[in-house]
Amino acid sequence: MIQAKDIMTREVVTVEGSATVATAVGLMKEKGLRALIVEPRNENDPYGMVTETDIVYKVAAYGHDPKKMRVYEIMTKPCIVVNPELGIEYVSRLFANTRIRRAPVIKEKLLGIISISDILKKGDFIDKPKRLFIEDEIDAARDDARTICAQKGATSKECAAAWDIVEELQAAAAHQRVEKKEKNSLATYCDENPEAPECRIDDN
Amino acid sequence: MMKAEDIMTKDVVTISGSVTVAEAVKQMKEKGLRALIVEPRNENDPYGMVTETDIVYKVAAYGHDPKKMRVYEIMSKPCIVVNPELRVEYVARLFANTRIRRAPVIKDKLVGIISISDILNKSDFVEKPKSNFDLYIEEYPNAPEARMYDS
Repeated sequence: MIQAKDIMTREVVTVEGSATVATAVGLMKEKGLRALIVEPRNENDPYGMVTETDIVYKVAAYGHDPKKMRVYEIMTKPCIVVNPELGIEYVSRLFANTRIRRAPVIKEKLLGIISISDILKKGDFIDKPKRLFIEDEIDAARDDARTICAQKGATSKECAAAWDIVEELQAAAAHQRVEKKEKNSLATYCDENPEAPECRIDDN
Repeated sequence: MMKAEDIMTKDVVTISGSVTVAEAVKQMKEKGLRALIVEPRNENDPYGMVTETDIVYKVAAYGHDPKKMRVYEIMSKPCIVVNPELRVEYVARLFANTRIRRAPVIKDKLVGIISISDILNKSDFVEKPKSNFDLYIEEYPNAPEARMYDS
């Protein structure tokens, strides 16, 4: 699986939260970047990010003067960060679920930045689409089954076999769900202390 | 005063809604684009658009096969379009209000595409920020509010 660190952009520019928006725009234009990372002020401070969307939505759209506004007024902080070892399928899912397009890649320190453009241009999802969760497998199998049944006929052997696959996956998913069910306190206690008198199971 | 047509990108690639997502990605990579415009199928049909965000959020994130999915399944259609004469400040406001980042520029036919990058890189909002009042005064220079008193 391709990881975030394999496709991230390593050239990152940081900016102070107290810099003016005009400075940030200058940096972005000069380096041809769409986002700048805002460095933490001390070791307990989170990373922040300011993107061209922030600048256009919050400054240009209202005619505010970029020379009088500061980065901290418009940045996203704390921002969602990505671990360098995270697989790009998970990065895509994270981005889709949180509706973001870009995140700094951080492990102890800032290593790079990853965006949807990196995923699109450098990822391998075209040649090797990967499904992460069994629910997605079921969706795909169901689509396959419908296609096969439409082509070969609803009573054909191929059609029945395709729906068997769906059924097996659904059974596996149901099994996973049952296993995930939370145990009550007594059951947890009994797992840890099988010899305790409260945990006896009488046969008759 | 800058208009959409002054800063838009004139180099636009259009595709048909029925091509596969894999084909769309190929076009984007080849031409270095972040969005493609989906042509109307007939004169009453609206314009559509497919962006890299659509592809990553709806295809890559779910492991769907881009060779089996078609553009019409993930595109935005009808999409918000911009008039070439619209002032850049209003384009920015429209984008902020509707939470979009990119729109085709259309007058009778497709003339370009405008994105937040164009606004950031080519407009003069840093040098000449314009408030609502400034915009109003420019549009109605004879309004009583526009008068300047000397003493």
